[in-house]
Amino acid sequence: MRPELEEIKLLEALLGGQLQEEQEQELEIQLLWDQALQQKVALQQVAYQAIQEAGRKQLRQELQSIHRRLFS
Amino acid sequence: MYCYCLQQLQLKKEYIFVRMMGDMSAAFRINPKKHMQTTETPVMAAGIREALVQHREKTLEKMYAKAYPMVLHYVKQHHGSPHDAQDLLQDAMILFYEKVVHQQLTLTAAPTTYLMAVCKNRWRRELEKRHREQGLTPEVAEQLQEETDPVMEAPTVALTGFVERLGQKCHDILVSFYYLGQQMEQIAQQHQYRNVRSATVQKFKCLERLRKSLSGFSSHHFR
Repeated sequence: MRPELEEIKLLEALLGGQLQEEQEQELEIQLLWDQALQQKVALQQVAYQAIQEAGRKQLRQELQSIHRRLFS
Repeated sequence: MYCYCLQQLQLKKEYIFVRMMGDMSAAFRINPKKHMQTTETPVMAAGIREALVQHREKTLEKMYAKAYPMVLHYVKQHHGSPHDAQDLLQDAMILFYEKVVHQQLTLTAAPTTYLMAVCKNRWRRELEKRHREQGLTPEVAEQLQEETDPVMEAPTVALTGFVERLGQKCHDILVSFYYLGQQMEQIAQQHQYRNVRSATVQKFKCLERLRKSLSGFSSHHFR
């Protein structure tokens, strides 16, 4: 994968608490001064939030069509 | 079974998020609920989890067929309409899905029993709310409504759009993996990717596009 994608993967591991302690601390220190990285982490969290909303919407639509199939 | 849990991704390191985003955190923060943990063996939950993830529509349909008549009966007896029953059950089932798939909920009762309990509880609260609002002028009632609505509601609609605008392929891969809890093997197979690796690369590309498109949204809304 190209470096940008590797970074996304790394931030995902950070957010999920799946990094080794040492690596996690390293990143957290970088986050203290690296504003661009801070922004990326924040946006990635909003991205997961957006996916959750999209998922809920899809599930709702599936339930609606189940309802129509079964009860109307 | 290993899974990236959405709740976890949003909750861990919340302090970073809060520290960095200022206003934005208020709009997107989720209540940091602790993961449900238990010493019991989650035999039943493991079974239902697998059924939900592997055969979602079939499993949901079975549960719906069983639960809806019960919820409808209950709601009708308690001043509600079929429409209320429908909303109530669908909310409860979405909650159920998320709990079982992402939080490893340990079920100690049948799914229908769990759903009924959630519906009854929520319906009781809804009735109390409606009761309180009776006798208020429409203006006051509306104001109250605005105040009690979750903070999340306004940006929610817009956020969904960002995922949809990525196109069907990205929408499906992101939602299937992060929300529906499917394994990459299953996703690669269903969406005709060459192998798990190429599906995984695609997933991160989609996430990159989503993140990029959201940067416009956040600066527009929160600065």
